[in-house]
Amino acid sequence: MPSVPPNSNPATGPAPSLVMSQLPRVRRGWRVFLFYSSAVLLTGLVSMLFADLLWRTGWSPSGVILLCLFIVLFFLIAMGCMHGVFGFVLRLTNDRRLTNLRDYLSQSIEGVSTALVFPIHNEAVVRVCEGLRATYESLEKTGCLERFDFYILSDSTDPDKWVEEEQRWIELVQSLDALGRIYYRRRVSNEEKKSGNIRDFLSTWGSRYRYFVVFDADSVMRGETLVNLVKLMEAHPQAGLVQTVPALVNAESLFGRIQQFANRLYAPIFITGLNFWAQGFGNYWGHNAIIRTEAFMQNCDLPQLPGRKPFGGQILSHDFVEAALLLKANWEVWMAYDLEGSYEEAPETMVENARRDRRWCQGNMQHFMVIWAKGLRGLSRLHLAQGIFGYLASPLWLFFLLTFNWMLWFEGHTGLSKITVHAFTPFLSVTGTEHAFLIFVICMAVLFLPKVLALVDLAFDPERRRAFGGLANAAGGAVAETAFSALHAPLQMLWHSKFVAATLLATGVQWGPPKRTADGIAWSEAVRQHWAHTLVGLIWGVAIWRLDRLTFWWFVPVMAGMVVSIPLSVLTSRAKLGQEARRSGLFLTPEETTPPLELAALRARMAILEEEGQIAPRPPDSGLADVVLDPYVNAIHVSLLREKRQNPAYARALSDLGVGQPRVQALCEKLLAEGPAELRREEKLLIMSDADQLPWLHRQAWLRPSATLARWWQTQIRQYAR
Amino acid sequence: MSETARIDAPGQLAGRPLEEWNGAYSKVESYFHALRVLNKVLLGQLVALVLERAMQRSASEPLRSATELAVEEMDRLFNEWFAQVLQAPPSGAEMLSTRGRMALLLADMPGRWQDQFLRPGPWPDEFVLAMRDGYLRAGPNFQLAQMTPRPLDLGPIATLTHWSGLPYVKMTMSWALFGLLLVLIFYVTHQ
Repeated sequence: MPSVPPNSNPATGPAPSLVMSQLPRVRRGWRVFLFYSSAVLLTGLVSMLFADLLWRTGWSPSGVILLCLFIVLFFLIAMGCMHGVFGFVLRLTNDRRLTNLRDYLSQSIEGVSTALVFPIHNEAVVRVCEGLRATYESLEKTGCLERFDFYILSDSTDPDKWVEEEQRWIELVQSLDALGRIYYRRRVSNEEKKSGNIRDFLSTWGSRYRYFVVFDADSVMRGETLVNLVKLMEAHPQAGLVQTVPALVNAESLFGRIQQFANRLYAPIFITGLNFWAQGFGNYWGHNAIIRTEAFMQNCDLPQLPGRKPFGGQILSHDFVEAALLLKANWEVWMAYDLEGSYEEAPETMVENARRDRRWCQGNMQHFMVIWAKGLRGLSRLHLAQGIFGYLASPLWLFFLLTFNWMLWFEGHTGLSKITVHAFTPFLSVTGTEHAFLIFVICMAVLFLPKVLALVDLAFDPERRRAFGGLANAAGGAVAETAFSALHAPLQMLWHSKFVAATLLATGVQWGPPKRTADGIAWSEAVRQHWAHTLVGLIWGVAIWRLDRLTFWWFVPVMAGMVVSIPLSVLTSRAKLGQEARRSGLFLTPEETTPPLELAALRARMAILEEEGQIAPRPPDSGLADVVLDPYVNAIHVSLLREKRQNPAYARALSDLGVGQPRVQALCEKLLAEGPAELRREEKLLIMSDADQLPWLHRQAWLRPSATLARWWQTQIRQYAR
Repeated sequence: MSETARIDAPGQLAGRPLEEWNGAYSKVESYFHALRVLNKVLLGQLVALVLERAMQRSASEPLRSATELAVEEMDRLFNEWFAQVLQAPPSGAEMLSTRGRMALLLADMPGRWQDQFLRPGPWPDEFVLAMRDGYLRAGPNFQLAQMTPRPLDLGPIATLTHWSGLPYVKMTMSWALFGLLLVLIFYVTHQ
C-alpha cells in the first residue's frame, strides 16, 4: 500500500478509495524473468559463437577483453531487440496496459483540480507561450478548462528573457482572457535547477492541486489527453505518476525529420515491449506526465548526493530518481503509451542533439551513485542502469574497436597465422571468414529486426500506414533512416565517449550555443565541431588500410560517418532538404500527413509571428530598456515583484540577493548615467529585482534632461517618438 | 495656451525659449506614445494639457528645465486621475502610479478607452469597473507547504553485504548458471 494516503484536500474534493490493480508479485517477476532471460539467452548463444571465433585465432588477454566487451555490448543490443520483438507480438495481442485495466473514461473529475506547469529557463519565450496557448485552447474545447490552472515557472537568469516572459505572458493572458487561469512566477534564484523549480511551485501552491502535469518548454498536449490523464489517475488511486510517450513533432530540418520519423515509427513497439516488463514500475522522463501531488511532495524531495561533482551534489537527471522514489514508497508509475495527443520537439541538428546529450550524460552517469541506494525497487535499478549504459556503451564500443585493432596489429606484427584450429564451428561447417560473417549478420539482424518488425506492424494497421504516407514511403524512410544512423552512430560514439570521460574526470565540456544560419548549421561551425571527428576517421582509416585491407572494408561504415561528418552535419541541418524529403514522401509522420488541431494552430500562429518579426532575436538589454521606460512593462514587472514579497521564502531570497540595500540605489544611478553596458548581469538582475527602485528608475529616466542620461538611454527614449 | 504663455517676449514661452518647450513637448509626447495613446487629436490635447500645467510652474521654478517640469506635471496629473478613477486610498505616488498603469493595460485603455484617459468623470461604468478590477495576479493565494528531502542510504558496501536482500537474486543466479553452462560447453568442445 502507498505510504501516504492519496490527496484528501477538502479544496479539491474527496479522493477516490484505494484499490490495488498491480500484478501479483510472482506474475510480475515472471514477466521480468522472461524478458531479460530472452536477451540473456540470445547474448549467450551469440557470445559462444564469438568466443569460438576467438578460439580459432588463438586465445590472448586482449581476446578475453574483446569477448567481455562483446558480451556486454551484445546484451545491450539484444535488450533493444527484445523490446522490439515483445512489443511487436504484444501489439497484436492487446496486452495488459493501464488504459485497459479499468473503465477510466466514465470517471468523473468533478471537484478535481490539476496544475499544468511549464518550467522554463532562458527559453524561446514565444514558442513556450504559443505551445501553452495551443494546449489551453484545446483544453477549452473539452469543456473542462475550469478544472485546470496553468503555471509558467521561470528560472531564467537572462534579464532580457525575464522581461520578455512577463510581456508575452500578459499578452497571452489578455488575448485568452485568462487572468486567474494562467499564472507566471519567476524564482529569485534558480538553485537545484528544474527539480528545485518544481519543488518551489509545490511548496507555494502544490497543496491546491491533487495532480500536476509537467510540460517541457516545447511540449504541447491535447486537451482530451489531459482530461483522460486526470481520469486515469482518479480511476487508479495507487498510481503516483503516469507518463505519456510524447511524439516528436514540428521538425523542419532533415536531421529533425529523420529523428521524428524514427520516433513515430519505432517507438510504439519499443514502448509496448518496455511496458511488458515494467508494468506499474515504469519510469518518468521529466515531462508530459501527470503526477499525484501529495505522493510526490512526500517522497520526491531529492537529497544532495554526498561528495563532489561529478557524482556528488545536486541530482541532475532527477526524473528517473523521482520515479524510483515513488516506487520505493509503493506508488505505481505507469506509461500510458497508447494515449495520443502528447507532443514535444527535438533538436534540429546533430550538434544541438549532442549538446543535449552532454547534459543528459552527466545526469545519467551520476545515477551510478543512486543505483545502490537502499530500498529502491529492483526495476528502478534496471531503469537507472539502462540510463547509465545508454552513454557508457559508447566508450565501450570505442574500446571494443580499438582492442580489435590492437589484436590485428599484434597478429600482423608477430606474423601469427590467423586461423589456427577448427573447433566448435565444424558443427556448422563454416570457414573462419564465414564464421566472422555469420556473427556480423547476426549482430545486424539483432540491430535491424525491431525496425523490420515496426514496418510489419505498420503493414497490419491500415490507418497508421496511411498516416505514414503508405508502406512504400515508410519502408523507404526506414532504409534512409538506417543509412543515416549508420553514419551518425560513430559520431555519437566519439561524442558520448568524450562526455563520459569529461564527466568521470569532472572537467566540463565548454559548449556555447551553435552558430546557425537562417537554414541550419553554418559551415564554419560544422568545421569547428567536427574537425576532430574527421581527423580521427582519416587517421584510423589509413592505419587500418595499412594493417589489413580486407579489414578496412569492414571498418568503412565506422570511418565513413567520421570522415563525412562536416558535410553530414551541415546538410542534415538544412530545412530545405527536410522539405525536399517531405515532398518526395520520405520520413512522413502522422502529425505531418494529418496535423492535429492543436499542432496546426501552433504552427499557424508561429508562422504569423515569424512574419511579423516577433521571433527575431531582440537587441541586447532590450528587456532592461522596456522595464525601465515602458510604462506598462514597468508596471507589470513591479506588480509581480510586489506580489512576490508576500511569500516569506521569496522575501527572504530577495533580501539575501541584496534588494533594498543602498548599493542598489547607487547601481541605478550608474545605470542611468553610464548605461547598461557598464553593469554586470548580476547587477542588472539585482536592480530588476527591486520593486522600490524600478518605479523610481522609470520616473527618473523620463524626468531627467537628456544630457544627464547615458547616450544609450537617449537612443532608447527616441524610439518612442514617432 | 494660458494667459501666462501669451504675455511672453518674442521667441519665448512662459519665460523660456521655445526650443526648451519643444524638448519638453517631445518627451511628453513620447511618453504618451509609450502608453499607446495613438489618436492624434487626443494626443495633442493631452500633451497641451500637461505643458500648460508645466508653464504655470515655470516662472516660480526657473532653475528647473521645462522637460523636468513637464514630466513632473504629467506624473501628477496621472496620479490625480488614477486616484479619482480607482478611488484609491492615500498611498505613495509610485505605488499609485504602478497600479494605475497596470489598470490601464488590463482595462485595455489603448484599445478601447483612449478617449476616457485623463478625462474628468463621470466615466462609463464598464470602464471604471475594468480599471478597478485591474489587479495583476501572478498566482493564486499562496498555500505554503514544506517539502523535506528524505535521506537516501547510498552505501554500496552496506548493500553489497546484503546479497540476499538484492532483488532478482534468483534470476541473476540462474543467469550465472547459464553462463557457467556455456563455459562448460565451450570447454568440452574445444578439447
